[in-house]
Amino acid sequence: MSVSIIIHFTHVTREYDAGTHVLKAVDDATFSIKDGEFVVILGPSGAGKSTLLNLLGGMDSATSGSIMVDGKNIVGLSDDTLTEYRAAYVGFVFQFYNLIPTLTALENIALTKQIVKDPIDARKALGLVGLADHANQFPARLSGGEQQRVSIARAVAKNPVMLLCDEPTGALDSQTGIMVLELLQTMNRKHGKTLVIVTHNTALAEAADKVIHMKNGKICDVTQNPTPKALSEVNW
Amino acid sequence: MLRKMLRDMARHKTQFVSIFLMAFLAIFIYTGVGGEWRGLQKSVDDFYAETNLADAFLYGNGFSDGQVQAVKDTPGVSVVERRLELSAVGDLENKPILTLYFVENGEISKPFLAEGVAFDKNNTDGIWLDKRFANAQGLKPGDTVGFVANDTRLEKTVRGLIYSAEQVFESGSDTLTPNFADYGYAFLSAGAFPVPEMLTYTTLLIKADDRMDTGRWASSESGADLESRINSESRDDLESRLDAALNGTYNVYLERENLPSVSMFNNEIQQHKMMGDIFPVVFLLIALLTLVTTMTRIVTNQRIQIGTLKALGFKKWVIARHYVAYGFFLAALGAVLGLIIGPITLPYLFYPSMSGFYTLPEWKPAYDVSFVLMAIVLIVLCAAVNWLACANLLRETPADTLRPKAPKSFRHGLLERTSIWDKLGFNVQWNLRDSSKNRIRALMAIIGVFGCTALVVCALSMNDAMGDLKVWQYETINHYESKLALGEATTQEQIDDIVTQVDGETIMEGTVEIRAGSNKKSASLLVLDNTTLIRPTDVNLQPFDLPQDGVFITQKMATALDVKQSDEIEWHIYGVEGWTKGQIAAIYRDPVNQGITMNRAQFEAYGMEFYPTAILTAKNVTESKAGVDSITLTADSMAGWDDLTEAMYIMVYLLIAAAAVLSVVVLYNLGLLAFTEMEREMATLKVMGLKSGKLRGLLLTQNLWFSTLGFAFGVPGGIWLTNIIVSLSGDEFDFPIWLHPLTLLAAFVFTFGLSVLVNLLFSRKIRRLDMVESLKVME
Repeated sequence: MSVSIIIHFTHVTREYDAGTHVLKAVDDATFSIKDGEFVVILGPSGAGKSTLLNLLGGMDSATSGSIMVDGKNIVGLSDDTLTEYRAAYVGFVFQFYNLIPTLTALENIALTKQIVKDPIDARKALGLVGLADHANQFPARLSGGEQQRVSIARAVAKNPVMLLCDEPTGALDSQTGIMVLELLQTMNRKHGKTLVIVTHNTALAEAADKVIHMKNGKICDVTQNPTPKALSEVNW
Repeated sequence: MLRKMLRDMARHKTQFVSIFLMAFLAIFIYTGVGGEWRGLQKSVDDFYAETNLADAFLYGNGFSDGQVQAVKDTPGVSVVERRLELSAVGDLENKPILTLYFVENGEISKPFLAEGVAFDKNNTDGIWLDKRFANAQGLKPGDTVGFVANDTRLEKTVRGLIYSAEQVFESGSDTLTPNFADYGYAFLSAGAFPVPEMLTYTTLLIKADDRMDTGRWASSESGADLESRINSESRDDLESRLDAALNGTYNVYLERENLPSVSMFNNEIQQHKMMGDIFPVVFLLIALLTLVTTMTRIVTNQRIQIGTLKALGFKKWVIARHYVAYGFFLAALGAVLGLIIGPITLPYLFYPSMSGFYTLPEWKPAYDVSFVLMAIVLIVLCAAVNWLACANLLRETPADTLRPKAPKSFRHGLLERTSIWDKLGFNVQWNLRDSSKNRIRALMAIIGVFGCTALVVCALSMNDAMGDLKVWQYETINHYESKLALGEATTQEQIDDIVTQVDGETIMEGTVEIRAGSNKKSASLLVLDNTTLIRPTDVNLQPFDLPQDGVFITQKMATALDVKQSDEIEWHIYGVEGWTKGQIAAIYRDPVNQGITMNRAQFEAYGMEFYPTAILTAKNVTESKAGVDSITLTADSMAGWDDLTEAMYIMVYLLIAAAAVLSVVVLYNLGLLAFTEMEREMATLKVMGLKSGKLRGLLLTQNLWFSTLGFAFGVPGGIWLTNIIVSLSGDEFDFPIWLHPLTLLAAFVFTFGLSVLVNLLFSRKIRRLDMVESLKVME
């Protein structure tokens, strides 16, 4: 596996106009992520973790700085170019799954056909997350953990470069949460997807290759984990 | 809580403004048009009452004192009076036709005084002149007018200017739009007749008993109710009693409701009433629709807030009151404003053009309790609908409410089990699912487009019909340029002379009563004398040659009498005694005259005397000739027709504007609702990398489906609506309605154009869709 740097943030700032003052959700962030790395972004509520992830995912635009992804700066791109970027590079996993309620599990995954030219077969992707026999069920009939697995399958089916997860276990009980995390780790270790997870669960840090600590919009620490633990060994 | 409501309203201002507007418009139009037609009804009823308009008319060749006594003794009759109706030509530049009423007592069908001194039956040198005629001619009380009647010249002094309740609509002129300078009427005392011993009364005016009056001619009722109440049995009653009393020595029996002026005006009122009833309902429905969609959205979005309020200990009804207040205040505000503004503005918009056709002493809107009732109904409905929108939520326990709403469970439909489903593609699948999940929204969108299409089709096809009618009447049927109406005293020599001069053809026109089984109708009669300048048209409006023998009847009259080809009908000409029987040899159609036609030979074979009433010619005749009463130029008639259609255009524009408002408001609201419901899904798709164009396509597809369905139902709906309106235009008219391909195309472009336009409004929203905001974890 190559160890090339695929993502590089340089002095990235995201400001919001909060009326009376300017709020810096992300303040001068500089870091890099290597291809295939498992990165955890840690920090308390309001530290700017989600904003950082949204900037990386092309859902939000930085006020200043540059975000290089695979050699291209995604800051300041047009709406349509950003959409193309998201389609090709990014697989999102949300806290509340965001499955389309009117589409079945399989159809939710098959959506990727609308987005990229050569997606992974929807059935195969569903098989990857162990839900092959739930293909024709609507999201409302699935449990939270199952819905999240469908949403991971949907993210993976596009065959993106990176998986970005915002509190993917936030709405799940710990047992189911670990299962989901194991699934994500498999995508990272076995299928080589760069994996970035935003969480406030510090325990997860033990399993990551790299941990980015945030506080008040600033990156206060970036630690490299020489010996990441398997999830089963993590002390929750 | 009030502040919360105002802020919520500000956030959803488009919706709330439209709720307010629709509530306002519903009441505005209901009370405005309602005030207008009720005003007409009241004015005309007062007019009839004040002038003591006759309940029934008998026309004959001269009623003697004995006959008057016989009628007076007939059960059901209270007062009888005679008068002589005579046509005269005014001694004025344009040779106007004046109908003179030589009145015996002046108690029944009295003139309504507008200017000058009141009618006096003992005044023999005075004349009371039709005010509109006098105004058009610049005549004032004190002026002297001369006129010729039956070859006798008379000169009288104008004593007063008057209105007649029998002439609310002046049917005397030949053109469709009355020209008040060409035609008028005047009241004179019977004593003013130059040769008293020659005076023969042609008309009996009859007032019915009070007992019958309350039952049959109660004037507070509207025309339609009244007409339906007067069944043929009771009508035959008085008629047959009079018939027996007079031994059939009269020509025509006419009840007040069948007087052309009365029935025309009643029809007019009915049309306005219908307009005033339909439009408010449409606006009310939009108001309710908008209210439901908006409130559902607000309440759903504020689920957690409501739960919190409940948990805090707010009583259910306090919360309910808070949410119901949204719709209540807006509906109340709109309704009250409409109630105030409607009756004082809309009627005055109608009255000026109405007074071009009708004559009333007073044009004033009238109020009705139903205005307030309608406003209350609207407010209550809005509040009720509003309550329904949040009732479910309030029934839940606070704990349930606090939890985010569970996603709707969804089952596979029938179509999805078939193999077609997989081939449909994402866009179609999505929209099929979405619309079956939101059936009510889908239905409302379809109904909205349906209404829009129906209104546009109705407006455009009415517009077409007017044009078609003009072509039909003046190009297909009539090929003459001038029509010379002959006087009653015109001699055969004079006629022959004119025919040679202008290369003309003679026809005989008249009025007949037709009988078939138990059906009886007043109709027009046309006798052709090898006439080539009138080309009758068949049921498909194509010119065709009538057979030589037999009677020909118009399609509309045949339908009214329930007869078909080769059936037998009986008729008698007003003014001629006895009935004639004949067999229907052909059915034809005519736009403005419903009745029968036959050839001169057949007419004479029936034992009738053919006397020409008019000469038709392809020449443009402008100078008057001896023996000719009046000349109607086809070019003038066509110009008159154009004037009439002018008024029609206003209606067409109004309908189209209403249609546009309807569809934009409905589609925009539903689109907004759909968009809000799908916002999260849309944002998800966008995050995943679906381009804005594709997202727009999703919404557009749905929009187009609903538009197509609405359009498909709307076209027949529009035709149906047009037919209703047309059927109210009066018995004399035959309006063929069919849809021109171009009209259909125009309606299509209009409806779908609006649909796409509304969609464009959303494309900006999609581009601006803030993914971060939309997908934010629920509060």
